[in-house]
Order: sequence, then structure tokens, then C-alpha cells
Amino acid sequence: MNDFYIILTACLVAINCAIMGSFLVMRKMVMIGDAISHAVLPGIFFAYIISGSTSSLPILIGAASSGILATIIIEWFTQKARLQSDASIGVSYTLLFAIGIILISKFGANADIDQQCVLYGELEYVSLWLEPIIGDFYLPRQTLILGVVCIIIVLAVTWGYKGLFITTFDPNFSISTGIAIGFWHYFLMSGVSLTTVVSFESVGAILVIAFLSGPPAIAYLLTGNFKKMLVLACAFGILCSIVGYYLAKLLDVSVAGAISAVIGAIFTIVFVITSSQKSKIDVISD
Amino acid sequence: MAIPIIEAHNLTVLYGRKPAIWNIDFKLPEGQVIGIMGPNGSGKSTLLKSIMGVVTPTTGYTKVYDQELNQVRHKVSYVPQRQEIDWDFPASVWDIVSMGRFHVRGLFKRLTSEDNDIIQESLEKVNMLGFAKRQISQLSGGQQQRVFLARAIAQQGELFLMDEPFAGVDIATEEMIVDLLKEMKGQGKTLVIVHHDLHTAQSYFDHLVLMNTRLVACGKTSDVFTDQILTDTYGGKLTTISKISQELENKEFPIRHQ
Repeated sequence: MNDFYIILTACLVAINCAIMGSFLVMRKMVMIGDAISHAVLPGIFFAYIISGSTSSLPILIGAASSGILATIIIEWFTQKARLQSDASIGVSYTLLFAIGIILISKFGANADIDQQCVLYGELEYVSLWLEPIIGDFYLPRQTLILGVVCIIIVLAVTWGYKGLFITTFDPNFSISTGIAIGFWHYFLMSGVSLTTVVSFESVGAILVIAFLSGPPAIAYLLTGNFKKMLVLACAFGILCSIVGYYLAKLLDVSVAGAISAVIGAIFTIVFVITSSQKSKIDVISD
Repeated sequence: MAIPIIEAHNLTVLYGRKPAIWNIDFKLPEGQVIGIMGPNGSGKSTLLKSIMGVVTPTTGYTKVYDQELNQVRHKVSYVPQRQEIDWDFPASVWDIVSMGRFHVRGLFKRLTSEDNDIIQESLEKVNMLGFAKRQISQLSGGQQQRVFLARAIAQQGELFLMDEPFAGVDIATEEMIVDLLKEMKGQGKTLVIVHHDLHTAQSYFDHLVLMNTRLVACGKTSDVFTDQILTDTYGGKLTTISKISQELENKEFPIRHQ
């Protein structure tokens, strides 16, 4: 059962990240996932101080709002200060992360925040905290939360597909037709923030980035249709999770590490095959 | 002039502290092909963008059909510069042109068969129907521009603002666009086009806006396409100017060179 829990958890993270990541990759802002997963720290601290507990819900809310705050600051730097988007990502999240570290080291001596866990996750221990579902069927708490988020993400993207698609492809044209691109930006960012926050607790920041960028990048190499890209990205995310898990078991290494490595390996293989097979640019003159 | 289709008042856009356009005032007539010309970096694109609300003016305002843009947005189509887009985006020609119908149905409803007919007609108009399923990364520059025009046509507007539709396209596409512009003008539509090539300006446009951050001249092509105004617009770029004045001379006194 433990195998099943770990694989299911990894797959749910993979699906959430693949969907959000596909939009981020096309918007050239995938590193915002990295930014959010670090910028959550002050949010976690304040949630801990205000609620006085390390229970999940307040921490989750604190972390997610801190993540959204990071995206607002990043957008503000990019728009108002006319800073390159990667530079504003770098400036904003290191600032928020640093504030979090200072606050915790000064006031949160007994806060249970483990560097190791933040970076590499605790996928192997996901089944330590089980919740009863129906009768004898139990699911780990993390998995349950990820499942709920997965449903939210799939519904939200289905509902807002056109808006997300047109504002990702051509923001200026979207504005010209009266579409509020700010709304769609923060709609996506809220999804990314939610995904990142619930995912990195179970799989760690590095695997979150690997899931956000890897499977969408693999899918991008294989299709010229964005809807197919979303589905393919999810499929590759799931494939990498399963292969990665058994690889980790076989070699007795970190699961998150093995999955990240498998993502990288599959990307390389797909890249070599696609670049040798078809000439992607096949310009037809009239 | 009847009600001007576009008017700008004291329009200034600053990027940081640097003005992209400075204190521009003009009125444009309806039903004509209007060129916006000026040297590189003279604020032509910024002018279109501020009319479309893509860029917020620092001061001043623009009106379209004597109203706020939001009141008449459904009548106005914008064709952004082709280079602003990532043409490696995983989307088909049909996907892009269908975006021209999104705002008509709203973002949360499916497109109807009427929309599909309109998309098909628009593709036909630019001779791209055979490419409907093609992925956009496999298009030539001219074909990309046709896709953008088809998207604008699918919006079924009355006023078209086009940012450099002739830049980097093949001759066949350029001729096709010119024919299309004539056809649209014949249907009473107004076309405002950012353009680069001085050689073709006189034959393409009824009306011209010449600018270099500030407005230099705005009026009928026959009135404003003069040596003096072009020198004022293009400043020190004498090689271009002398070429053009040479051409003007050729046109006026063809007998001299025979």
C-alpha cells in the first residue's frame, strides 16, 4: 500500500504541475514556481504566529497568500520599474525568502521548519498520516489535499481555458478586445501558488520545479496543439513518477531525486529523437 | 470633416522618463486608408497601442467614433506587430483566427457554427483556408501576417488598426494585402496602418500621419507628402530623403529622364 500512496501522491503533484507548467512555459515564466516555493516562508511564519499552531490549514493559507503576494510584487517590478521579468523574480523572492529566514531565526526558535524537508520533500513518509475515506480505505492526508487541489485546477482550467489561452498567446491583442489580462494573470498565478504550496510540502521545491518545467517541455517538443500539450504533459508527468519511484526503490535512493532525474533523462531522449527526425521549421512559400 | 473616426488630444506616453510620443493632436477621417509614418523609434506603434488601450497614456486621451474606446470596442480590430508573438506557440492557424470571435461570444461560451463560417470566410479572404490546420510555427512571414489579418477580419469590425502589416512579407502577400485594403475601403471600412516604406506611401494611402515623437503633419497624402515635411519628419536621414525627392521629381517631370 505504501508504494501506491507514494506513486499516487507523486502523480497528483505531476498532474497539477504539468497543467500549470504548460501555461508558465508558454509565458516564459516557469521559474515563478521556484520563486513561490521560496517566497512562502514569511507567510508560513505569520500563519504560525497568528494561529499559534503548525496545523495544516492556516499554514496552507499563509503560504498560498505569501506566494500570491510574491507574484504581485514580481508583476509590479516588471510593470512599474520596467525590470526584466527574470530579474524581478530574482529580486522579489530572495527578498521574501530572506525576510522569512530572519523572522524564523529571530522569533521562531521552536517552529518546526526543516530545510531538508523544504528542499527535498518527504515523499517517502507520506503515508505516516492517514485519513479514513470509506470503510477500510485510507488515504494519506497530503494525497487527499493534492487530490482536492487537482480537481480545483482541472475545473478552473477547463472553465477559463479560452481566457488563459488567448492571454498567453497574444496579450496585446487580448487587451484590444477588452479582455482583462490582469485577471487572467492572477487567476493563473493563484493556481500556480496553490499548486506549488501543496506540492512542495510533499515532494520538495526541486521536484516541483522539475514537474513544472520538464513534462510541459517534453510535451512541447512533441505536439503543435496546446490542448494535446496539456494532456501529454500530464501523461509524461505520471510516467516519470512511476518510473522514478521504482528506480529509487531499485537503487535505494531519494524518490524525489530519482523522479527529477527521470524527467531530465526523458526530456533529453525526446529532444534527441525529435531534433533528428523532423525539421520543425518547414517554411512553405506560396 | 464629419465626425472624426479617431481623435487624439495632447497625447503623451512616457516610457520611464523618455517620451515615446509627445503631445500629439489629430483627427482622422472615416472610410479612408490612413498611413502612420515616421523613422524607427518615432512612436508609431506606441500611438496605435495607446489608441487601443494596450499602453496607458501619461497625459491626454483618444476617442474613437467620438466615444470612449470601451463603448465601441466591438467595431475596432487591432493587428499587432507580427514580431511581438511567439510563433513557436503550439497552436494551429484555425486556433489563432478563432481568437477573433472570442470577444463576440464571451470567453465562456463555445463558438457557434456561424462563428466557424466567419472564420472560414476570413481565411478564404487571405488565401489561407488550405492552411487552417497547419501549425503556426510552419508558416512563412507572409503567411503569419495573413493569419493575423484573417483574425482581424473575423472580428467583423469597421475600423482596423494595423501595426506594420507590410514588414517582412513576400511580394505576393504585399499585393494581396493591398487588394484586401482596397476591398475593405470599398465596403466603407477605415484602415489605419503603420508603414515603413516611403516609396509605396503615395500609392497606398489617402491620408497620412507623419510623426517623429511629435506630430509633424496630418492630412491628405497629396497635401502632406512634400519634401519639406518629409525632411522635418526624418530629420538628418538625408539619403532616404534625397531618394524620395528624386522619386517625387521623377513623378512630376517624367519627361526629363527620358
